[in-house]
Order: sequence, then structure tokens, then C-alpha cells
Amino acid sequence: MSRRAGADHEPHHRVAAGALLTAGMAAVLAVGFLRLQRDHAALPPVARYALEVALPRWKLSEPVNEVVYGTRGFDTFGETFLLLAAVISVIVISRPREPRRGYFGEETAGRREQAEVDPHERRDQEEEQARAAEKEEAGEPDDAVGGAAGLRRPETPDAEPVGSPAPERAHAMSVVIRTAIRTAAPVLAVTGLYLVAWGYSPGGGFPGGAVMLGVALLVYAGFGRKRIAGVIRPGLLEGIEMAGAALIIGAETLGLLLKGSFSANWLPLAPVGTIRSGGVAQLFSVGELIEVGTGLMIAVFAVLGMTHDWTPDEDGDSDGEDNQGPDQSGGSRR
Amino acid sequence: MIVVNYLASAALFCLGLYTVLTRRNMIKMVMGLSLMESSTYVLFISMAYRSGSTAPVLVDPPKGRSPEQLAAGNVADPVLQNFCLTAIVIGVAVTAVFLSVVVRIAQHRRTLDADRVRELRG
Repeated sequence: MSRRAGADHEPHHRVAAGALLTAGMAAVLAVGFLRLQRDHAALPPVARYALEVALPRWKLSEPVNEVVYGTRGFDTFGETFLLLAAVISVIVISRPREPRRGYFGEETAGRREQAEVDPHERRDQEEEQARAAEKEEAGEPDDAVGGAAGLRRPETPDAEPVGSPAPERAHAMSVVIRTAIRTAAPVLAVTGLYLVAWGYSPGGGFPGGAVMLGVALLVYAGFGRKRIAGVIRPGLLEGIEMAGAALIIGAETLGLLLKGSFSANWLPLAPVGTIRSGGVAQLFSVGELIEVGTGLMIAVFAVLGMTHDWTPDEDGDSDGEDNQGPDQSGGSRR
Repeated sequence: MIVVNYLASAALFCLGLYTVLTRRNMIKMVMGLSLMESSTYVLFISMAYRSGSTAPVLVDPPKGRSPEQLAAGNVADPVLQNFCLTAIVIGVAVTAVFLSVVVRIAQHRRTLDADRVRELRG
């Protein structure tokens, strides 16, 4: 393997040491994994306990769910709040300097101020025209200023003419994909809720929350951010997520208060196979759905929307600029 | 032949480890970490498998088996499947945090190359 440095080639680092360590790890793993239990081993006692206790005690016909929300409920509790901690760190890391309403659009929001020497200066008719002409020449969409320049995007991607000769804009998918998303998104959303609602079905809050994120991403990919901007915004999602976390804490703590042990069941149990059969495990699962769904949305859209600190490259070349600290590159706005 | 799964999991893990150790592109490092995480999913699911077993669902067990018989054995290990679920959630959380850190590093250092970021320049 040749060590080639440069932007065009894949840069490697300490290939020999890496290969040596990986080979050692492979040997250790092979020895260890070959001594693992094989497919004829008896079920471990923990698994047998979970299977025996699931139906009579927890009224859950799905032992995996029983393990998640019952036997290892405390573990799931910690894991949920690990996810919450991760989401909070993503929010903190990705937070722009100014408070924002949505995950996208800061870039265009400050464009006018960035483009002008003195944003408070009054602009007369002549200057407006000059700026509009400049914009049109540069081929920029005129979202921020809202002037009369051409290249306005239609209000919704549906209004965009299909089959126009210009290359399709990235935010407007073709009519086939939009129709497919219109059909699939409600089905997916109902499936996600179903996974959580019925205590006897395989699933639970984590898969349900992941499906909810999938629905949001589908709609975003097909219809652009304007369609989801009303729902997917930091203020709303963060509030809902905290409500989900509070629901979990409340449900588990009530078990401690009423029954004497954390995450004990204090709800009346319905017969197996009905919607309320899970008792407090199902409440936990609903809290997980809320928290995991909104948490993943916050994390994904926060990362997708991290465009705030980019400053355009000077002369298109910043490679090999060694003296450019964060104060110059990230702090100054041009 | 569940051993094949174990070895595949070990191979995936080593592939991810090699990526993390030798690549300098931070996005590829995150991808390597994700690969290592997925190797644990393969391992857990393979360890949960029993030959001729059914899914651990207690209502309507397959013909001729009662829920009690399922508990006696011949069913996939639900505890390890649960470990897999946990591992997936933690993997997602870790990947999200790493990716946002990578984006911020790229914004401030103007590079994805770990070698150029390593020295903490003012």
C-alpha cells in the first residue's frame, strides 16, 4: 500500500501500525468468538426467566419487549437518558450564535446583512434596481431579499413545472416520488404507532421512534423544508422531547411510590392481546416513542442544518493555510 | 454453521478498527466506528440463534408447542436481541454526536483531515 499524501488521494496514517493492531485484534476476536456458545447451547437462565415471567407477570407475549421494559427496565431507562444526553450535546455543538426558529434557513436569513457594508443604510430605488440586476446576473435565488429578481422558487414543489429543461432543483423531487411519498408516509406513520400501541406486538418505543424519524425525513426529502417547517422546529421538538422524558420518569417513579420498586407496574392489566395489556411497560414504551422520535429528529436535523458558520473560501483555496485560527475562519463574517 | 456469523462479525469489527486506525478523513473514521457497532449487532443476533428455534413470541406459538415449552428452550434468546436494540440506540447517539463534532471541526479548521486538526493551533 503506497502512502500518498494529498487532497486527491485517500490520506492514510500509520498503515503498518494500524494493520499490526488490527491483526492482533483479529486474532484475539477469533480465539474468543470460536469459544462462544454454539447454536445447540441451552438458553441461559436469564433468558428462561424472561420467557417464564413475560406472559403471567407482565402480560406481554413478546419477551423481547418484556426484557426491554420489564426485566431490564432500569437499563433501558439509562439508555434513554444517554440518548437524551447525546441529543443535548448535538444541540449544544450545533447551536448557532443567534436564536433560531427552524433548523434550516439561517444562511439566507442573514444574507442581506452579510452582503452589505452597512445594513442600516437606507436603500434608494436606484440601488435596489442595481442589486436586483446583480442578483439576476449571478443567477442567485432571491429568497432573502424578496425582490423582483428572476429565479423565484414556486411556493411548493408541486407548483414547479415538471419536465422543464432546466436541471431539477434538489428540493423538488419528481411527481412520481412525491406521489409515492404521499402514499407511503401515512402508512409508515400508522405502522410506527402500531408498533408501540399494541403491547403484544414486536416492537416498542425505539423502532416506533425510528419510523417517525423516517416519515419526517421522507417528507423533507420529497417536499422540501417548507412543508415540515411548522412541525420540525427546535422550540416545539425540544419541548415534546422533554415531555416524553418527564413521562418516563413519572411513570417509573410512580411505581416506586405506589408499589415500592422502580418501574413496578401500577396500572390495571388488561387481558393479553388487547391494547392496554402491557400496563406500565407500555406507558414506558410510549414515552420512549416520544423521546426517541423527537430526539432523533432533533439530532438529524440539527446536523443537516449546520450551515451557519461557513464562510466562503477566499480565492477558492484554503488548503495549506496554516495560520488560520478559528477566530479568523469561524468568527469573522464577510 | 453459526461460527461463520461469528467470524463475519470479527471481520467486520477488524475492518472498522483498521479504518479508524489508518484513515485520516474524519467522516471515514465515523464510518469505521459505525462498522464496528454493526459487527456487535451481527454478534448478538448470532449468539441469540438456536438451531431450529422460533422467534420469542408467546401468543400463538408454532404447532405442538406451548409457551412453557418455549421457555424450556428451542427459542431465540430474547435477552441478546434486547442487547442488540440497546446497542443500536447507543450507536445512533454516538454517531450523531461524532458527526456534529466533525461538521464543527470542518467549519473551524476548514479540513476533514485528522492530521491537520491534531495540533491544537490557536
